[in-house]
Amino acid sequence: MVTHSSFVSRAGRYTLLGAVLLIMVFPLLWMFRISLLSPGTSLAISEIVGAGYTLSNYLDLFTSSEILRSLVNSILVGGAVTIGNVLFCFMAGYGLARYHSLTNRLLFGSVLVVLMIPAHVTIIPTYILMLKLQLYDSYGALILPFLVNPIGIFLVKQYVESIPPSMEEAARIDGASDWQILMRVVMPVCRPALAVLAIQVFFTNWNSFLFPFILTSSQELRTLPVALAMLQGHQAIDWQHLMAGSAIAVLPVLVLFVILQRQIVSGITAGAIKQ
Amino acid sequence: MIRGRSTSVFLSLPWVITLLAFWLFPLLYSLAIGFTDLQLLRKSFEWVGFANYSELLSDPDFLSALSNTFIFVAGTIPFTTVIALFLALLVNRKFPGRGLFRAGYFMPSITSMVVIALIFTNLLQRGGYVATLASMVGLTPPEHGFLLDSSTALFSIMGMDVWMSVGYYMLIFLAGLKAIPDELYEAAEVSGAGKIRQFWSITLPLLRPTALFVLVINSIKSFQVFIEIFVMTKGKFDTSTVVYFLYEEGLSSQFRFGYASAAAYLLFVIIAGFSVLQFVLMRRKGPVW
Repeated sequence: MVTHSSFVSRAGRYTLLGAVLLIMVFPLLWMFRISLLSPGTSLAISEIVGAGYTLSNYLDLFTSSEILRSLVNSILVGGAVTIGNVLFCFMAGYGLARYHSLTNRLLFGSVLVVLMIPAHVTIIPTYILMLKLQLYDSYGALILPFLVNPIGIFLVKQYVESIPPSMEEAARIDGASDWQILMRVVMPVCRPALAVLAIQVFFTNWNSFLFPFILTSSQELRTLPVALAMLQGHQAIDWQHLMAGSAIAVLPVLVLFVILQRQIVSGITAGAIKQ
Repeated sequence: MIRGRSTSVFLSLPWVITLLAFWLFPLLYSLAIGFTDLQLLRKSFEWVGFANYSELLSDPDFLSALSNTFIFVAGTIPFTTVIALFLALLVNRKFPGRGLFRAGYFMPSITSMVVIALIFTNLLQRGGYVATLASMVGLTPPEHGFLLDSSTALFSIMGMDVWMSVGYYMLIFLAGLKAIPDELYEAAEVSGAGKIRQFWSITLPLLRPTALFVLVINSIKSFQVFIEIFVMTKGKFDTSTVVYFLYEEGLSSQFRFGYASAAAYLLFVIIAGFSVLQFVLMRRKGPVW
C-alpha cells in the first residue's frame, strides 16, 4: 500500500515537473525549429510539423555583413567590459575588504546604494553626457559606462574577507611591491570569485539592449540584441532569418550555461543570500 | 597586505569615476533638468519650476503609461512570486533528474530579453501557436493576433514576463530554502507536525527575508519594463509604460529632455516609495502572510 501510493505520487510529481519543463523550454525549441525551416515556408502549425530542415538561414546570416558585424561587436564589447570588470571590481573589492577608513566605508555605502537605483533615471543624462563627451555612437559609449559594477565589487569584497591576510604579509616581508602582491598573490586566490564575476558580467552585457540601443545610432555599432530588434522593425517579418539570428544570440549563452552552470547559479544567488 | 592611503584610494579610482560620471551625475542632473524645458538642438533653456510635472499629470499619454505600468507590476509580481516559490519547493528535495529540471526552468532567465520578445511576437501573432491552441480549446483568439488588440496585448506581455522570470526567482528561493536548518524540520517531525503545518510554521516565516528580496528586486525591475514593449508593440494597443513614454518623449521624436526627465523622476520616487513600503511591511514582526 505504501509503495503503491509513493509510486503514484512519484509519477504525479514527474508529470508535473515534465509539464513545467515543456512550458519553459518550448519557446526556445520553437525558435530553433523556425530557424531551420527553408525561407518562405508557411508558418502554419500544420505545415511546420512535416517540413524539412535546412541550415540555409544561418549561412545567409553569416554571409551578410549586418549580423556578422553585430556578432563581432557583441564579442568585442562583451570581452572589453568583462576584462574591465574583473580588474576594476577586483581592485575596488580588495581595497574595501582590507581598509576600513572612513572613505572606504562611504564608498562601500555607495556600492549598496547604487544597487538600489533604478537605471532608468540615468538614461537621458547618460545620453546627454555621451553627446557632450563626443562618445555618442562609438565603442566608447558601449564600454566606458559599464567597466565596473557594484555587484562585482560586493562579490570580491566578500571573498577577500574570507581569506586571511597572512599570505600578503609574508609576500611583503619577501619584498614584493603593492602591485605584485595584488596581482601575483591575491588575484590567483580570488580566481573562483572572479570566474563567477566574469561569467555574470559577460552574460549581462551579451543580452543588454537598452543602453547599447540608445547610445548608438549607426548600423556598424549595433550589438546582436540591437541588430535583432531593428531587423524586426521592417514591415514584413522574415521569421526564418530572424529566428536564426536569435538562435545565434542564444546559442553561446546556452552552451556556456551547460558548461558553467555551477558558477552561474552561485553568481546569481550570491547577492541574495548575503542580504 | 598593501599599505598606504594613496594605494587604497587608487584601488577604488575606477569605481569612483564610474560612480560620479554614470550614477551620481545622472541622478542629480535628471532631477535638475526636470525643472527646465531643455530640448535637443535648442541653444538655451529656461527654468520652468514644476511645469513639467503638472503637464505630466494632465498628459493622457503619460497617465495611461503610468496606469499600464501599475497594471504590469500588480499583475505579474504576485504570480511570479508564488509560482517561483512553488517551483523552488518542487525541485528542492533530492531526486533523480533534479539538475535537469532546475536548469530547464532557469533557461529563459539567461536568454536575451530581445530574443524572448521576438519569439513571443511570433507565438502570439495572428494564426500563431497560441491562437491555434486557444481555438483548439474553444476560445476565440483576437482577430489580428494577441499583440494587435488592446484588450489582450498588455496581458500577453505580462504572461510572458511571468514565464521568463519565475526561473530566476526560483533560484533565489532555493538559496533561501537551503539556509533553513534541517533540525527545525526534524524537531517538527518529532513533535508530530505534518508537512503542511511545517510549511506554514517553518518554511514560510523563515523565507521572509528571501521573499522580501524577491519582491523588492522584482518590483524595481518591473516598474521599468521597456524592452518587451519596444520590441513587441512599440507602445501601441494600450501597452505604453512609463519608461517607454520617457524613451518616446526624450529620445525618439521630440527629444524633450526636461519633460522626459521629470517622468523618470516621478517613476523613481514611486519605486523608492514602494521599496520602502515593502521593507516596512516585511520587517514588521507578526504574521504578514
